[in-house]
Parts: sequence; structure tokens; C-alpha cells
Amino acid sequence: MPKRNVDPITLSVVRGVLETTQREMTLTLEQTARSSVFNLAHDYSTALFNHTPEMILQGQDIPIHLGSLIPAMKSVAGFFDGDINEGDLILHNDPAYGGSHIIDTCMYMPVFYEGELVFWTVCKGHLTDIGGPVPAGYNPNATEIFAEGLRIPPVKLWDKGKPRHDVMNLLLTNMRARRDQEGDFNALIGACQVGARNLKGLMDKYGKDVVQDCIAELLDMAEAHMRKLISEVPDGTYTGTAILEDAGHGFGDFEIKATVTITGDSCHIEIVSPPQIPYFINSYEGNSHSGVYLGLMMFAQLPPPYNEGLYRCVSTDMGPKGTLCNAKSPAPHMNCTTTPMETLTDAVRLAFEQAAPAKVSASWGHANGCNIAGWDNRHDEEYVTMVLASIISGAGATASQDGWHACGPECCFGALTSGDIEMLEHSYPIIIHRYSLMEDSGGAGKNRGGSGTCWEVEPLDSPMTLITFGEGRRIPAMGAAGAKSAMVQPKVGRLEVTRNGETQIITENVIETIQPGERAANKNPGGGGYGNPFERDIQKVVEDVRNGLVSLEGARQDYGVVITDRDTLSVDTEATAKLRAA
Amino acid sequence: MQNQYRLGIDAGGTFTDFILADRKGGVRIFKVLSTPTDPTMAIRNGLKLIEEETGLSPETIVSNSDLCINGTTVGLNALITHNGAKTGLIATKGHEDSIEIRLGHKEDGYRYDPEYPPATMLVPRYLRRGVSERVLSNGTVHTALNEEEVREACRHFLREGVESVSISFVWSVLHPEHELRAGEIVREMMPHVRLTIGSQLYPQVREYTRTSTAIVNAYLAPILQRYVEAVDAYFQSLGARHPVRYFQSNGGLALGKVVTDQSVYAINSGPASAPQAALWLGEPWAMKDIITVDMGGTSFDITLTRDGRANVSKNIDFLRYRIGIPMIQVETLGAGGGSIGWIDSMGLMQMGPQSAGSEPGPASYDQGGERPTTTDANLILGYLNPDGLVGGRLPLNVEKARKAIKTHLADPLGISVEKAAFGMFTIVNNNMVNAIRRVSVERGYDPRDFVLNCAGGATAAHITALAREMGIRKVLISKLASGLCAFGQIISDVKYNYMAPAPVRLEGAEAAARLDGLFNQLESRGTEDLKSDGFTDDNISVRRSLDMRYVGQVHECTVDVEPFEVTEAALARLKAAFHARHEELYTYSEPQSAVEVVNVESAITGAVDKPGRMEIAPGKGAHAALKGTREMIFNADGIAHETPVYDGALLGAGDRITGPAVIQEVTTTIVIEPGWLAELDASGVYLLSQHEAHAARVLADAVTEDA
Repeated sequence: MPKRNVDPITLSVVRGVLETTQREMTLTLEQTARSSVFNLAHDYSTALFNHTPEMILQGQDIPIHLGSLIPAMKSVAGFFDGDINEGDLILHNDPAYGGSHIIDTCMYMPVFYEGELVFWTVCKGHLTDIGGPVPAGYNPNATEIFAEGLRIPPVKLWDKGKPRHDVMNLLLTNMRARRDQEGDFNALIGACQVGARNLKGLMDKYGKDVVQDCIAELLDMAEAHMRKLISEVPDGTYTGTAILEDAGHGFGDFEIKATVTITGDSCHIEIVSPPQIPYFINSYEGNSHSGVYLGLMMFAQLPPPYNEGLYRCVSTDMGPKGTLCNAKSPAPHMNCTTTPMETLTDAVRLAFEQAAPAKVSASWGHANGCNIAGWDNRHDEEYVTMVLASIISGAGATASQDGWHACGPECCFGALTSGDIEMLEHSYPIIIHRYSLMEDSGGAGKNRGGSGTCWEVEPLDSPMTLITFGEGRRIPAMGAAGAKSAMVQPKVGRLEVTRNGETQIITENVIETIQPGERAANKNPGGGGYGNPFERDIQKVVEDVRNGLVSLEGARQDYGVVITDRDTLSVDTEATAKLRAA
Repeated sequence: MQNQYRLGIDAGGTFTDFILADRKGGVRIFKVLSTPTDPTMAIRNGLKLIEEETGLSPETIVSNSDLCINGTTVGLNALITHNGAKTGLIATKGHEDSIEIRLGHKEDGYRYDPEYPPATMLVPRYLRRGVSERVLSNGTVHTALNEEEVREACRHFLREGVESVSISFVWSVLHPEHELRAGEIVREMMPHVRLTIGSQLYPQVREYTRTSTAIVNAYLAPILQRYVEAVDAYFQSLGARHPVRYFQSNGGLALGKVVTDQSVYAINSGPASAPQAALWLGEPWAMKDIITVDMGGTSFDITLTRDGRANVSKNIDFLRYRIGIPMIQVETLGAGGGSIGWIDSMGLMQMGPQSAGSEPGPASYDQGGERPTTTDANLILGYLNPDGLVGGRLPLNVEKARKAIKTHLADPLGISVEKAAFGMFTIVNNNMVNAIRRVSVERGYDPRDFVLNCAGGATAAHITALAREMGIRKVLISKLASGLCAFGQIISDVKYNYMAPAPVRLEGAEAAARLDGLFNQLESRGTEDLKSDGFTDDNISVRRSLDMRYVGQVHECTVDVEPFEVTEAALARLKAAFHARHEELYTYSEPQSAVEVVNVESAITGAVDKPGRMEIAPGKGAHAALKGTREMIFNADGIAHETPVYDGALLGAGDRITGPAVIQEVTTTIVIEPGWLAELDASGVYLLSQHEAHAARVLADAVTEDA
């Protein structure tokens, strides 16, 4: 129990206030942001740091932001070391300073109390554009980071309370859809201010020293908790290897390998990946932390709140600089938060599947999505956005239940929201013809993976640029505990472009122009299954067929269940028994 | 001769409360057990009980009542237990799955939980049928309705035995004709099913919300219909001279026909009457900014009124289902008398949300419960009388409470039982304070500007502590606190919401004319509806709201305005109201940026006469009501002090009590912390305020904050 002079009751109260503070920051971001990526899709995160700076609270926002804020905050504080003043506000996105990808922009507000730096309130959000040659930042043709948009090393937006309009103007001048970006910057600043206000109130009430003692204690308690979980895993070295498919770069498939070494109550995670390539799927170290921590959380399965104490007993080695998962400048990287991160997460998950088989769940569908851009004739203005609805995949099944439909991708773990289709059509000149689940897309298993989704779009009245990113178009989401699908094709993603009645299937990352009258359907993979599909309860298979989630052919091939009549759904018990015995 | 009585019946999960008010301010509360399997049974039982206790027969009461009001949980229960009607959905082809995709989101708090299940589908996928048709975002038709596909869907529903059908098409709000035509076909082919049409029920932009709202409505409509028919028939048989009024989650009354067609308005009506009750209690002091907190056995409900109007929520997830219609904002927290204290995996003490419920109940009930609860803590702190709750009908076992706290909390944390009990009290209060922020701070209001009003039986033990934590200086506690929501229903007005989509930028004469036309249309419809129900221009009032945002934002903020003619010049007034609200909510506004409207709404209210107020005779001083003393703990040091206990029934108007003290009322125990002064008002309400010495300290704190 408490080592410091900390009263256990105040400790509970302080933690509650920190959670409320983070919640109110998140709410401010959600409600005020401009771009649909922020406010419809929740592609943002907020966190609180102490003066050291250690992360003292991260909300339940996007897991891809989970790890990278930690090195980023340290890097930013280090950059301005000795020159951090009350009234400062710092902006940053550069992966060379711990950022994830440059479209995720971070705002850092130092919180002073009685003249002393005590906290940082921090938020990070995915802007709709960051300049560069291709709208929305994702450029499959980029061979260097410089072809992806504006790198922003740590820079002061406010200096001792004075806004630097010249700096803001420089940034905005280099971005498309300036109004949206400016609104999103305001939302990030508003969120930091709300956080700072609450933390000052907390210190007014309990005193700075008590609050700091409580926070130090909370970090220690999280550490103890993770150590306990890890000590329950037998000592040893466990490895997992996941395959990253070639999504259009031409270098072939890659292997990402994770080695988890458990020694007592600590854990070392080592990543081996191939050399970096001139394609937008390299991951700098900060982003790779997120991938590793997500794999760890899939094992730890902890309820919130989270703080950095959890990771004190976890050391990482992302491999030599210049590799896919530890890239160095000028590696292009824009796709990194999904690709290769999800494959990296899978590798870590697989290593933990060896270490703690009882706690495994299947992989989720990987992101395979698109960004759109063009001219909005209704308001005579440019539009550009990432389409979050286009990356909603199926969740992996677990030991206790089928995977959630339409809850992925893996890197977001259900934290995104895809936005109302009427809101999207109101904001952008598009017609969404379909947003639906897909038959046979969930990975087969005793517990079935969740269904993936199809998002089909047509431009309203002017040509639309559509840029695809991600992968999962050839290799389906991995099952767990022996799950395997026989029908693979419906379980992977793809882009289908229909022009003049002819449909072209695209499985690589491309930049396409879609004309009014043409349609692009982006299909996302389902989640992996759990356990032997031939052991799935026959009645559950029948229900899936009734609900159009599994076809008659899927029932036979994936589950060994023979249904003789589509209307009555009667099962040929004999044929089924025979198939399942084979 | 005037009608003598007003009867209110509020069905809750466990008890059904009856309120019988007369013209002279007499109010009596009766309670019977709820009968979920046959909800009308509880009504009969209650009226029988009233007859036994007062000699007034059900016929006498009902035929002499100006209003009989019913708040029902039949819809809520059907939604909780997933026992609604077998329901089908006809949707735009390609969009049948929006209610199962649920915007691709998993609720926060369960991110890495492998066992948290998906929401149960009210309409399974095989009963969701897509038909070819499409309207675009500008309201034009892209694809005409394929009527044969609608017929095919009906044939499918008939084969499957569907009882209720919902129709929801993309952008139907801008062009309802397709939905209406599909509705005609359904009525023709399935004359016996209930029909819900999205654009009629909830004419607002947002397909997922509208479809989900329509489905919840369709799912509940047959249930509400059966219930309303039974209740109406029963009251008619008793000689009712006016139709029964049903209480809705928008805080207003409605006719049975309305609740049958718009069942979704009936789902969370219980706590929605609290704001109305709060305003009534505060009226003698002209209080209009009031937060009401209601703590029961397992949950804690919070509502707020600002400047005399209740917070309203739209587009929220309720029991995991997205519901659009405007409802009184009720924040609910799993914190009640039965909330269990425990130590979490990190080693921190927590209170709730798990509850010992009424079985086995708190450890001190001595019914087999071994886990320490809020009630047990309050007993150890001396706040509750060990002789028992509810006038001694339920004795409390102090030793059982002590043992539970010692075993599960005090020993593991290495502190005394008294300190642990005060810790439980503190933590549950802080949970409640954090929840109160959701109706206040998150809505842009400073709770220190509000009065705190106490409802429910368990709340009064916590009320001064909550006020202290929030920096609130005034507290109201009615003698009717334990039945306050039922009371709120009988002083509520008839209220209907009329909505229309209005996606326009706030610029130019055309936009102004469109808004003005829409409001006038909605309001003339509403006024007509109320007039046909017997209301006149004198008692009909209108309140407008607009969902507005900066161009490019996706979330709107709702701005309330008085009705005025929307001319081009008046647009500036709307914009100014929006900028101010945005700043209030989010710390900043952008006066230079363009503003757009998404949806508009007019709430039309038909005012109902109010019953008289309670009148309490002047007292002879509090000492006359002093019953004795008890040892109580008011500080984290865990040290007990002798504290006076007063009998509330013996206090008169004007009597004053200084804290620390406890006032025992029959159905509640009021704990007055040191620093507070309570005075009983003639209207049957205790007004608590902070002492001057204490107030001076609070003031000093506030000054430090500003500095």
C-alpha cells in the first residue's frame, strides 16, 4: 500500500478528477472540431503529463496514438528545455521528434502553478490535410517524407501568452482547406485550455504537493499491476511472425518478427523488420511504440484509466535504425499508423499467444481505405478528407464470443466512429450508395470473426480524386486457437471501380479519378475467427445464414454445415456430420 | 363546481408511487409494489390502498379529478429486457445495416475487454429489407421508389409474423414522399401492424439516428398501445371526465394516442419530471437555476434547469440504442444506497457501480449481504438511525456494517473502520460530483451558480456534502423529496415537440424566409393540435431551438431562442446567440466564421392549472423538535462528535437548525454538516444555506482562485 504520505481516499478522488479532465478535453475536441476526421471519426487523443514528463493519464481514444505520445512529449520538452514558459503553446507533428505520421498534429500546453511547471495537457488529432503534392497526405508515389507534406518540428504557437500569428499563417498557407485546418487547430487549443483549467482547480483544492504525490503513487500502482500480470506468464522467450503483404510497392511480402522475453515481472519486446523502403509504409520509432503497446494491451486486457507506469517494466527494441519498424529520415511514412503497424501488432499478439494462450483473441481486419478530394460546386470550394467509414473492418473473435461486426480496424480497436452518411453527403459532394456488412467476410471459427464493411461512393457532379491506402487485400485477418477459413476471397479487402458497367478490382494502393456516374466500392476485411470452425454450433451457423452473414456455400466450406434449402434453412445432418468428420 | 383532486401514478422498477393532491395544498403519497407482468394491476392495487387509507373510492377520486396522470415504465422495461414487438425495417437499398454498424464504434470503457458483447439487435438482419429508391442531399430524387420491392418486403414480413414495421430512407427528411408511399403500401398489405415512418417521427438530418429512433419506436409501439388501451378503458370505467395523460421523457404530458404513435417519447419519463418539480419548489424564492439530484437504492439521477428551462439531450445512446428525439437530459450514475465499496485491481478504493440492490441489500440489512455499501458507511458515520429506516420498519445492524467495512476495505487499506467509512462517503460523493459536471460544466454552466435540490429517499444524507464539494451555497429539500418525481408529473404541462430539417447557411433573405416559414408551419401545427385538445391561445406557449454550427463543424450546438420573426436583419441575433453559446461551452467562439443551421424545433406547451401549495403552521422553535443526540463523524479524521437529532414532523414554519445536526423525516434522513443552516419554509421545503463564517471562507477561496 501507499509508500508516500498519500491518503488512499484522496488518491481515488484525484484519479477521478484526472479522468473527468481528460473526458472534458475529449468532449471539447469532438464537439468543436471542423474536419470530419476529428469530429465524426474521433481520430484524436488527449493525454495529461506531469512535469518529468511522464504520461499520467491517457483516455480511451485511438490506440494508434497510445504509445507515440509518450516519446513525442519527451522529445518536445527536451527540444525547448530551459525555455518553457507560462503561456507557451507548442505544436509538432514530425516523426523525427517522436510523432506518428505528419498528418497527426499534436498540441502541447505547459501548465504552470505558482510559477512552476507542473503538468502538460496534450492532444493529438488527424487533420484532413498537411500540404504536399497529394490531398489528405497519403501519397503512394512518395519516395521521401518530403513528398508527403509539411514536417513541423516542435514550434511555439504562443510565446509567453502571445499568439504567433505569423507562424500560424505560415502553416495554414501550406495546407488545403485552410478553414477546416484552422478550426481544428482552435479545437486542439480549446481542449488543452479546458484541461489546464481543471488541473489548476484540482491543485487549488488539494494543494500541489498532495496532487503530485497522488500522481506519483498512481504511476507506481499501474507499474505494480503490469508487473503482476507479466509475472503470471512463465519466464521464457516467445516469438511471433506476421506477414505484411505487398500492397503495390513491388518489393514483395515482408516478415515482421516480434520476440517477447519474459523475465520475472518484466518483459522485453524486440522487433525485427526488413530495411526501410521508398514507399509510404515505413514506421518511425514513436509510431512503432503504439503498435507494440497495442499488442501488449490485447494480452493485458486492462480496463481504463491508463498511465505510463504500465510500461515501466516493458522495454522495447525496434531494431536497427533504417528498418521498416524503426525508420529514419527521409523514409516516407504516411501510411504507418495502419500499415505496417497492424502487422507489427499481430506479430506481438502472436508472441503473446505463445506466452499466454488463455488470453488470446484473434486479429482484427486491417485498414484498407481511401481518401477523397475534389471541388465542391455547391459552395465553390475545395474539399479533402480521409474517409473513416472506408476503413471499418470486422473485429477478431475471442474465446467467449463472436467478433463485433464493423468495429475495426485493428489499429483503432473500436475507438473510431465512421460518421453519419447524411452528414458526409452534406459535407462533401458525394453519394454513398452502400454502407453495409458483407456476406462471408467474418473469419471462420468456433467463434466467428466480425463482418467487414463495404463503402460505395459516387461523386455528385465533379470528378473526384480517390487515393487508397493500407493492405489486407490478399492476406485475411489471422485467426486464433486454430481458426482457419476455407473461403478466403470474401474475407479480404479490395477496391472495386465500376465504369460503364465494367468493374475493375484493385488490390494495390492507387490514385484514381472517379467521374460522376462511376462508382468506387471500398471493401474492408472481416475479423479473424477463434477456434476450429467445424466445432461451431450448427444452430449459430444457421442463424448466420438466415441473417445473410454466411452464404450456403460458406456454411458448407467454412463450417462443414450442409443446408439444403435457403427458405426453410433445414440442415442435412448426415452430410454435415460426414463433412465435419473429414 | 371545480374538480377536487389531481391523481398522479408513477410506475417505477420496484414501486409504483401514487400522488393525490387537492386544491387546498394537501398532498399525500402512497406506494404499492409494481407489477411488471400486468402493469395495470398496480394501478388497481394502489387505488384500493388509497380507499383503505382515506375512504375515498376509486370512482370518487377519478370522477372528481381534473387530471389523472400516468408515468409508465412499460416501454423502458421492454427495451431493457428486449421484449418488444417483432419488428421489420424497410430501408434504402445499401443502407439496411446502419443500425448494426452503429457508426463502427465500440463504447468507451471496454476497449480491450474481450467479453463485452455487441448490442442486441432490435431488428435482426433478416427482417431488414432494402428497397431501390434514393433522394440526394439537396432533396432531389436520384432513384424512384420501387414499389414492387416494398410489396416483396411486406410479403416477407407477413411470412415471418412481423407485428410492427418501421420505414426509414436516406434523406427522407428532405423528400418524405417515398417513405409515405411505402407506408401506404404497408398499410394496404399489412393493415394490422403498427407503422413507424422515420421522417414523420423524427424529421431531422442524420440517417443512423433517425433509423434507430424509428426502430425503437416500432419495437415499443404495440406494447404501449396495449397498455394505453387497458389504462384508458379502466379509467373510463371509473367515470373519468378527462382523458388520462401520460408523462413523456421530454418532460411534458401527452394524450394516450400520442404515446401510442410516438412510443419512443415514453421511454425514460420517470426522472424527467424532476426539473418541473424543482422549479415549483424554488418558485417562492424565484430560483430558476437548479440542479436536482435523486439517489435511490442503485442509481443516482441528475437533471438541471437554467433560467427556468431544463437541459435537453438529443441524439444520445440510451441503453445502447441511438435515440434522436429531445428528452430531458438525465445523467444516471450507478451510485446509490446499495452501491458496493471495493478495491480495484490497481489497489484503489472504488464505490459502485455494482450494487447490493434490495436483495441481499447492504450488510446492515442483515439479509445475507456481506459487502460494504453506502448505507453501511452512513450507518457507521452515525447519519442513519440504527433503530431503522422508514420509521423503524427496517432495523439496521451496526455490527454487520462494521464487519463488512473492516473485512473488505479498512483492513486491506490499513485504516480504521471509521476512516474507511468516511472514505466511502467521500468517494461516492466525488463520483456524484463528477457526474454532476456532465449536466453543468459540460453544458457550459458553473455549478456554483446553482441551487441544489434533493430528491429520492437516500439523497438527503449526502446533500450538504455534495453542495460543499461543488461550491454550491443553497440547498432545497422538500418534505415530499422521496416522491418528488411523481409529484413533478402532476404539476407538469402538456408538451409536444415539432421538428424540421433546415440545412441552410445563416446568410441572406432567402435563408431567413425559409427559417421563418418553417417555424410558423411547425407552430401552427402544434397550436392546432393543442387547441383541438381544449387549450387556448392564453395557455399555449412556444419555445424555439436551432441546431447550429460553424460551417465545417459536424457537431451542432443547440441554441434556445424566444419566438421572433426571422428576417434577414434578425439573422444577426441568431448568430450572436450561437457565438455566445459556443463560447460558454468550449471556451472560444469565431465571430468571423460562417454559421449554418441543420435542424430546427419548436416545443409547444399547453399550460395546466397547478394545485395549491402545502401550508405549514409557524413553529415554536427547533428545540421543541429535539429528540436526542447521536455520535456522528464529519471529518476524515474519523473522530465522532455528539450531534443533535430532530424530528421533522414536529418542526414548524420558520424553525431553524444549525449544523451539525440530523433531521429525521419519515421517508428520509437529512444530514446537515457543520457550517450549514436549515430553515423550514411554510411551503414544506427546507432551505439550507451556508453560515456566514463558512461563507467567508468559501469567498476567500474564490478570491484566491481569481488571483
